[in-house]
Amino acid sequence: MKVIKANQLTKVYNESKIPVTALSGVDIEISEGEFTAIVGPSGSGKSTLLNIIGGLDNPTSGYIEVGGLDISTLSENQLIDFRMNNIGFVFQSYNLIPVLTAKENVTFILLLQKKSKQEMNARAEELLNKVGLGDRMNNRPNELSGGQQQRVAVARALASKPKFILADEPTANLDSVSTANLLDLMAEMNATEKATFVFSTHDQRVIDKARRVITLEDGKIKSDEIKS
Amino acid sequence: MMLTTIAWRNVWRSPGRTITIIMAVAVGVASLSFLTGFINGFVINFVDNGIQSDYAHVQIHHPAFKADKELKYDIKNADEVAEKVKLLPGVVAVTERTLINGMISSPKTANGIQIYGIDVNLESQITNIDSSLVEGTYLSTIKKNPILISTEVAEKLRLKLRSKVVITVQNENREIVAGAFRVDGIFESRSKRINDGAVFVKQQDLARLIGGPVKIHEIAIMGTSHENAQILADSISQIAPELTTESWAQLAPELELMQSQVWINMLVVLVIIMGALCFGIVNTMLMAVLERVRELGMLMAIGMKKTRIFKMIVLETIMMALVGGPLGIIIGLLFNQYFIVNGLDLSAYSEGLKEFGYSNILYPTIQVMDYVVIAISVGVTAIIAAIYPARKATKLKPVEALHTI
Repeated sequence: MKVIKANQLTKVYNESKIPVTALSGVDIEISEGEFTAIVGPSGSGKSTLLNIIGGLDNPTSGYIEVGGLDISTLSENQLIDFRMNNIGFVFQSYNLIPVLTAKENVTFILLLQKKSKQEMNARAEELLNKVGLGDRMNNRPNELSGGQQQRVAVARALASKPKFILADEPTANLDSVSTANLLDLMAEMNATEKATFVFSTHDQRVIDKARRVITLEDGKIKSDEIKS
Repeated sequence: MMLTTIAWRNVWRSPGRTITIIMAVAVGVASLSFLTGFINGFVINFVDNGIQSDYAHVQIHHPAFKADKELKYDIKNADEVAEKVKLLPGVVAVTERTLINGMISSPKTANGIQIYGIDVNLESQITNIDSSLVEGTYLSTIKKNPILISTEVAEKLRLKLRSKVVITVQNENREIVAGAFRVDGIFESRSKRINDGAVFVKQQDLARLIGGPVKIHEIAIMGTSHENAQILADSISQIAPELTTESWAQLAPELELMQSQVWINMLVVLVIIMGALCFGIVNTMLMAVLERVRELGMLMAIGMKKTRIFKMIVLETIMMALVGGPLGIIIGLLFNQYFIVNGLDLSAYSEGLKEFGYSNILYPTIQVMDYVVIAISVGVTAIIAAIYPARKATKLKPVEALHTI
């Protein structure tokens, strides 16, 4: 089942001054449960594509459907609700809330969803145990290594059981051991949590791990390879 | 709940900055508390001095006396009126005065003066002339024609205790009569009017001088409080409608003006201090927002609505005010309490203050309500100051904010 559909997706920045085309007529379809990497050199449009799929940015033209919803028609508040209930984000620089502990960072989104305290605690503990940070739940981000912070970010992204995990260069700031651990973790989560994972990356280790690799160049799809 | 937790922890992300702003709030509030006490004390001192040294709460005169201070405009039934007034509720003391304009002469020089013929016992229940003596006694040592003069008159006429002076007045037949008096006491009144141009003699001595029975031109009444003076004046008017009854506020509009203007002074001080505080808070919170652009972008990206972001920033600001405000009120309270007990010694400026009818020692006056107003002002200022930074935060676009370095 296709859960992400993009048709003739175009994004032009700075339209009124010096227009910069980030995406130019992109057509993609991603099925439920895929583990997909969007790759390409800097400026190829991979982050833009990820932002549009995640409802953080609007396309200049074209059609984008995520989880059966035409998200380009949603208002700002509807988009926030859509992101909260459907998308888990993992960012390049972790972006944890520095004043909260690992556990509080994971429960934060559940709090926004007004879940019960019991449910929040149970889910946060389950996920932090899964990502191997059961003993660091009460540590704040500055007390964790980069790899550990990114694991917390993955746990946070999964906390609300979203249909999609969008990860923008998630391994860019990690060493090779942390990268390998994180990728194993994400693959495991992809299997156990049944979420569709889409990465933007130019890290070969991520590309190797992905089951589908979409290559962008100059805002256009250059290749779309599904590994057997 | 979590929003409060995050806001509180955010407040302490930059302890130095937070402590600076908390201290700014505390100092602002403490200064405001102290200034309120000081200004209130100043005004109350001014009004009190005017009432206790000069006007009393209410005065009764012949209707024509105010415009033309002639001997003939006396209150014919003064004793009867005074007795009736004494029976009114809220009346503490009543005295009758003879008032004549005349001249006081020493061997060196002479000066125009208003002569108060007083009942020695009753006058001391009304005004503080007896306790204002700096030398001598209260018309009690010299047996014949004692007189109380002010330090100002003593200096002008180069008089000392027991010096002889001649009082010259016009009697009812328009004849000039003069009598010798001897200085029994020298006072320093806090009323400039009294200090510059009044002398006090015994009522009977003055009556003897002008030849005839005691004439009463003024009945002065002390009530229970300044605030009730007008009510008292109104009820006295009903007893003696043929006479002119005025409260201190009508007799001395400058005192009334001073009292009624105090809130304007306070408002000006309040606006200045709160304005400065507002700019300080806006600046700090703006810095706090700009330092967290990426984090705010992330919060919006993962599903935090802008209204919650707005609330969080406002909450952070209010929390700082909630720490600084009470701290400032405690400091202000301690300062005020210290000076309420010990007084603020302004003797270095006593010459200037005396000119305006102030005392050397000032006691701040502050009510619980003043602290409540200050606390509310700080709260309102914090909320106003939070609006701009909070709006700035909600204007961020998550996709752009997330890419901020």
